[in-house]
Amino acid sequence: MDRHSTLLLKTLARWGGVGLALIVLAAAVEPKPRAQRSTPVAILVNPATRVSNLSLAELREIMLGNRQFWPDHQPIVLLLRAPVAPERTAVLHIIYQMSEAEFRQYWIAKIFRDETATAPKVVYSASMASELVVAIPGSIAFLEADEVQPGPKVLTIDGKKPGEKGYPLQ
Amino acid sequence: MIRSVSCSLLLCVLAYPVRLRAQTAAPATAVPVAGQASAPAGAVPPTDQEHYPSLNIQGFADIDYSAQDQAAERVGTATGFTPPGVSSNFNLGQFVLHFAGALSPKVSYFAEVSWTAGANGFTTTVERSIIRYDYSDNFKISAGRYHTPILYWNTAYHHGLWLQTSINRPEMIQFGGRLIPVHFVGLLAQGLVPGTGSLNLHYEAGIGNGRGADIAEPGNAGDINNNKAWLATIYAQPAWAYKWQAGGSVYRDKIGPANGIAGNYGEWIDTARLVYTGEKPEFISEFANIKHTLLGAPGTWNSQAWYAQIAYRLPWLQAKWKPYYRFEYIHIPITDPVFNPPTNPVPSLAGSIAGVRYDFSPYAALKMEYRDSRRAPNKPRIHGIFVQTALVF
Repeated sequence: MDRHSTLLLKTLARWGGVGLALIVLAAAVEPKPRAQRSTPVAILVNPATRVSNLSLAELREIMLGNRQFWPDHQPIVLLLRAPVAPERTAVLHIIYQMSEAEFRQYWIAKIFRDETATAPKVVYSASMASELVVAIPGSIAFLEADEVQPGPKVLTIDGKKPGEKGYPLQ
Repeated sequence: MIRSVSCSLLLCVLAYPVRLRAQTAAPATAVPVAGQASAPAGAVPPTDQEHYPSLNIQGFADIDYSAQDQAAERVGTATGFTPPGVSSNFNLGQFVLHFAGALSPKVSYFAEVSWTAGANGFTTTVERSIIRYDYSDNFKISAGRYHTPILYWNTAYHHGLWLQTSINRPEMIQFGGRLIPVHFVGLLAQGLVPGTGSLNLHYEAGIGNGRGADIAEPGNAGDINNNKAWLATIYAQPAWAYKWQAGGSVYRDKIGPANGIAGNYGEWIDTARLVYTGEKPEFISEFANIKHTLLGAPGTWNSQAWYAQIAYRLPWLQAKWKPYYRFEYIHIPITDPVFNPPTNPVPSLAGSIAGVRYDFSPYAALKMEYRDSRRAPNKPRIHGIFVQTALVF
């Protein structure tokens, strides 16, 4: 074993154990996820969008901004409810698996890594979300299912409609 | 450094009739990032569309303090001035502005400009300047000055230090370092590899000027040896494990007398990465092998560098604390003529960093680190305490 390797192992042994122990401790006491919601969250898209079903993984890719185009190359416009809306909280928990702070940091980083030129748009009410998703080509939004108004196309997720057994955004 | 170019660009950008999102009457506003006001709901009819060009400006800054017992051997800092010996310093770090502009639904421009405190004042640098056309998720093409996309850290974290967990970058990719070409000027194609399904295989392929006269810099104003560097990166980000990323890169260049190095050498850089992008935990590990081959005569040298960083956002105290640990290792053969010129050789390193990040505001963090490192077994061990406050506005 050469001198560099010896030095490497000694340094690793000195500090690695401390860091690992701290992380294991934190993971052990991490609060458990919350119970499921009673009102499902519906995913709405512009009626001209040629997509009727998404898997939860595909929806996550879209919400994360990793998929930025529909299959016909139409840019996806992401509409998000403003903070405190219950469906936003649900989407952060189920799809993003992030806290509000993590979510903000995620999008700041996303834009300034030059991975996308535009951030999601924030909408302030259910009616505004429904109107905008009809008006903006390629847009996608989410609402509590009982607030959906006529006009937008409601997607099935993993082949399930909102409220059906096994619907993932419950 | 390209001070004059950067000043001109900045003036042009600021003089341009920009439409900041916070000032538009769009019906929906972008995700409110730091410093941006939110437009009232329903300000205009919802049929209004995106305005072009649009411009989003974000600022980053950091202020640092360091105390070391061997300042001349300081680890992981690309900026500042310290005399040799025991030292303690306050350092202004970098002031950085990011400009992200949408020119049309599929064309965008991005720029990153930094002001760095030095011994003789501030240096202004255009760190990134990129125009990009997004045809689809499978094909995006861009031109400009990038952070070379052959290592995860280099493209995930930039000059705004608030974005990264630790105070400094790993030394193998620190700004101003010569081990890896941190910047790249040229063309880049990127996207999802079609047909890879839930594996989500991404590619990046680029061609550019390669290293400049100073091998720490790219050829900003042209190619100094008329031999283009190229790179290829492939990584998977599976849909079923979307916070994981695994992949690797290849970078090829030719360097020689024009780079201030005696002789002509081929340079191959192979890298590998394994990353978990969450916060509970955050895990980043990367490896690079840099091979220099003397052209026209026998002679090959391989240098290795790697690091592994792990962090965890603690669930207590409003999840504001995030301890982290990183081990770094760089081994450079003392006979490598590219990294060991007669003066100022690229040093080896074995070192640990243990620290904690405290997010005292959603947009500002305080980071505290202890570092313990050594350049070689026969060199003294270096100990240091580093503190940084980094913010985004």
